[in-house]
Amino acid sequence: MTGYVVELEGVWKVFGDRAVDAMAAIQSGGLSKAEVLERYGAVVGVRDASFSVSEGEIFCLMGLSGSGKSTLVRHINRLIEPSAGTIRILGEDIGAMAADELRALRGTRIGMVFQNMALLPHRSVRDNIAFGLELRGMDAFSRTRVADRTLETVSLHGYGDRLPSELSGGMQQRVGLARALAADPDILLMDEPFSALDPLIRRNLQDEFLNLSANMRKTTVFITHDLDEAIRMGDRIGIMKDGEVVQIGTAEDIVTAPADDYVADFVAGISRLKLVSAGKIMMPIERFEALNGPVDGADQYPTAHPDDDLDTLVGLSTRSARPVLIRTEDAVVGVVDKTTLLHGLQGSAGA
Amino acid sequence: MILTGSPNTVAEGRVSSIQAFVTSGVPYYVPTFERIEKNALPWWHVNPWALTVPWLWAGLRGVWLVFWIALAIDLLGIVCLMQVVKFSPLLAEAQANAAENVTLIDRYSKWIRNFGTAGAVLLVAGRLWVGGRADRWYYRQYSRWRIDQTIASGVDPRRLLLAGLIMLIVSPLTIYRATQLRLDGRACLNLIRAGEETDALLLRTGVADAASLIDGLQAEYDDLSDQFARLDAIRDRTSEQNSRRSELRKLLRDTGRDLETARTAVATGWREKFDCWFIDDFPTLARLVPPENVIYRRVPDEEAIASGRDGATKVVRTVKDPVEGRRVNIFTYSAESIDISINYLRASFAGIFDAMTNVLRQSLIRVEILFMQTPWPVISFLFLALAWHYTGRATTVFVGACLAFLAAFELWQVAMQTMALVVVSTALCILVGLPVGIWMAKNKWARWITEPVLDVMQTIPSLSYLVPAVAFFGISQPPAVLATVVFAMPPMIKLTALGILQVPESTKEAGLAFGASERQLLIKVELPMAIPSIMAGLNQTIMLALSMATISAFIGAEGLGAIVTAALGDAQAGKGLLAGIAIALVAMMIDRILKGIRMSFSRI
Repeated sequence: MTGYVVELEGVWKVFGDRAVDAMAAIQSGGLSKAEVLERYGAVVGVRDASFSVSEGEIFCLMGLSGSGKSTLVRHINRLIEPSAGTIRILGEDIGAMAADELRALRGTRIGMVFQNMALLPHRSVRDNIAFGLELRGMDAFSRTRVADRTLETVSLHGYGDRLPSELSGGMQQRVGLARALAADPDILLMDEPFSALDPLIRRNLQDEFLNLSANMRKTTVFITHDLDEAIRMGDRIGIMKDGEVVQIGTAEDIVTAPADDYVADFVAGISRLKLVSAGKIMMPIERFEALNGPVDGADQYPTAHPDDDLDTLVGLSTRSARPVLIRTEDAVVGVVDKTTLLHGLQGSAGA
Repeated sequence: MILTGSPNTVAEGRVSSIQAFVTSGVPYYVPTFERIEKNALPWWHVNPWALTVPWLWAGLRGVWLVFWIALAIDLLGIVCLMQVVKFSPLLAEAQANAAENVTLIDRYSKWIRNFGTAGAVLLVAGRLWVGGRADRWYYRQYSRWRIDQTIASGVDPRRLLLAGLIMLIVSPLTIYRATQLRLDGRACLNLIRAGEETDALLLRTGVADAASLIDGLQAEYDDLSDQFARLDAIRDRTSEQNSRRSELRKLLRDTGRDLETARTAVATGWREKFDCWFIDDFPTLARLVPPENVIYRRVPDEEAIASGRDGATKVVRTVKDPVEGRRVNIFTYSAESIDISINYLRASFAGIFDAMTNVLRQSLIRVEILFMQTPWPVISFLFLALAWHYTGRATTVFVGACLAFLAAFELWQVAMQTMALVVVSTALCILVGLPVGIWMAKNKWARWITEPVLDVMQTIPSLSYLVPAVAFFGISQPPAVLATVVFAMPPMIKLTALGILQVPESTKEAGLAFGASERQLLIKVELPMAIPSIMAGLNQTIMLALSMATISAFIGAEGLGAIVTAALGDAQAGKGLLAGIAIALVAMMIDRILKGIRMSFSRI
């Protein structure tokens, strides 16, 4: 056991009638996406993707439409078979699982939420939520109880007897979430769950999901095409482009040190106020003292912790003419003067 | 200045675009197109090339619309004029004996006059019209070409060649045909027969070619007629001489016919052959020796019965003597082969067919008893209750009226028979159609195979499979049920498949993601979501089954349809009409109730 709940290692997915040949050619020759399409008529959906998600973490996969993120997430419960690579859930290789083991895994360990809800229109909300339990053969009495409890969790108490079509989009997606939670799975796969909702309801559901997640500590893989959402939801973010995971890191890592121009373009418009911490932009104390002489009378300077965000620094800085000292419990480690702060806000310093 | 580009460059762009389109004749087309755009083209404007050689002009420039219109008009005109050529010799012939042929002369001269005028008017007016429209059509093509550069533009000799080829295929034969009188329907067949028989004669006599065959036959004929004349001259013939004489007469007749045949075969010119091959009907491609006329019959097997197996039977195969020299075409050959195969299958697998007939008959009898022996107040009540529960008041009243019609015209029991037939057929349709529909939805190959079969089932005239149905199952209710099933099942299959295929991919994916097996997915997700579609299929199946009631009555189905067919036989319009209305009312009644039931499903 490596301690990770979800692990993907070198996962490839090639679509097309001659996908097997194409995959072999890629592994031996290293063809580009265009070459594969030209020679084999095959489309590379996922290109050598590897990442791991630890327990209770929310891992966001972010990318534009067509970047392969939905394809990639369907590998985690093997709705799509990988062309190459291994996927381990709780340390177990799911590629080696037999059909019934796989069904058990899907039914008990992994819950999934879909962008278009994909509820069954002919079943009541309650029966929709209990669907997975019913498939496993749980009796009607117990599954109804579980479903009603889950309905409360997503604040839809009393809607159990309605048909999905009678509910609003936001409520339908709560039902989708409840369905995923009903079996109390270890892992949640969220495929752009809030993308089809209007902004207010989206924000609402995001907050609610974050609350739920904090309580239940479900390991979550969250797909989105919206960087703001990724930053809001994700403990870590993986950015996908053309089937490839181009960068993995915390929101701050990605904003302050984009791996390439594509990612840089992506994060260019993002407000750094709440994302970037003082530690990332400060001038080390040694260098500051070498330039300006020793800092004396440290009590007269405003001080902040290296983990404080730029928003805090701006607040401190506006109330004092002096630069802000960055100190840990033991010592002063750096200084942020107004120039450094402005560069940090703009994203031009240290880059 | 918001508008860039001066008027000059705009005009130049226009001219160069027209130039690129027409490539040759620019000085003519640029101002013409401009006048068309300005709506300033005079009504008498005519494109001289399109007026004189429209097909060549249109072919060269790729204005195919003009090409086909001009070709059609010209051909029609010429065909009219050719009637003059056709009837003139007939008129001359009739005028040779003017006194006797007054009506004929009158008729022919009228035809010649009318066709001649029509042809001339068509040619002149048609050409003028095409010539006048040509530039406008050409301009329209230019407008389309500006959007889509793949549309024909410029001049291209290859297109001219194509136009010539089309005219070569279409024109000469059509014009030649117009000059010829219609061939005698049997003329071509007689020519073929003469050829065949002459070949047979050559083979029999061992003579090398037709000319010497004719010589030989002539000599034989002369010899025979000499002998006959000599015998004929004798006044008092003995009985021996008399029999010799009649023998000679028969020989003489046969030889004379052979001689005639051979002469016809030799005299057949290229002209007759050409007419038979190209301008009349499609030629007979092959004349085949017909299939062996085999008859299979099932008879009691005496040997087996003797050895203790009661009621044992066996199939006896007898071959009828073929008719000497009979030749048939491919159609007849295949039809006879099919007959023989049906005969064989019927005799060999009698047990299976009888068993099927029995099962069908027994189930039909049970359902008939259910419908006919349940007292009419009970049935009426059930129908009305169904209508009341699932539909509104209006429909209930309508159902009541339909039932009253059946009762008032004393068609109740007969209608119940029809109902029984429909119920059994529909049950069979569901039993077979539902699984096949599911299979079709799940399997691409199944779809590929089933779809054409279903189309054939729906479109093949029911009368053409009633005959084999009778061959296999005899005349009675069971084959009627089968014929009804064949006709009524396709919508059941198609709409089941459609309903399953229409289930959104994402919903199926969700089912799988929560651990459904293929089977669970089908039962818990796909079939429930396909129910509205399946119900629509069921509804159509029932309607089609009812519409087969009359047709299947031809092979022994009882019920309302039988009254219609009987009325047809006796030319009793009133009876047939009333029974027909009863069928329609039964159909509408069931349809309305089913629609109500369907609506109660489709609330989801």
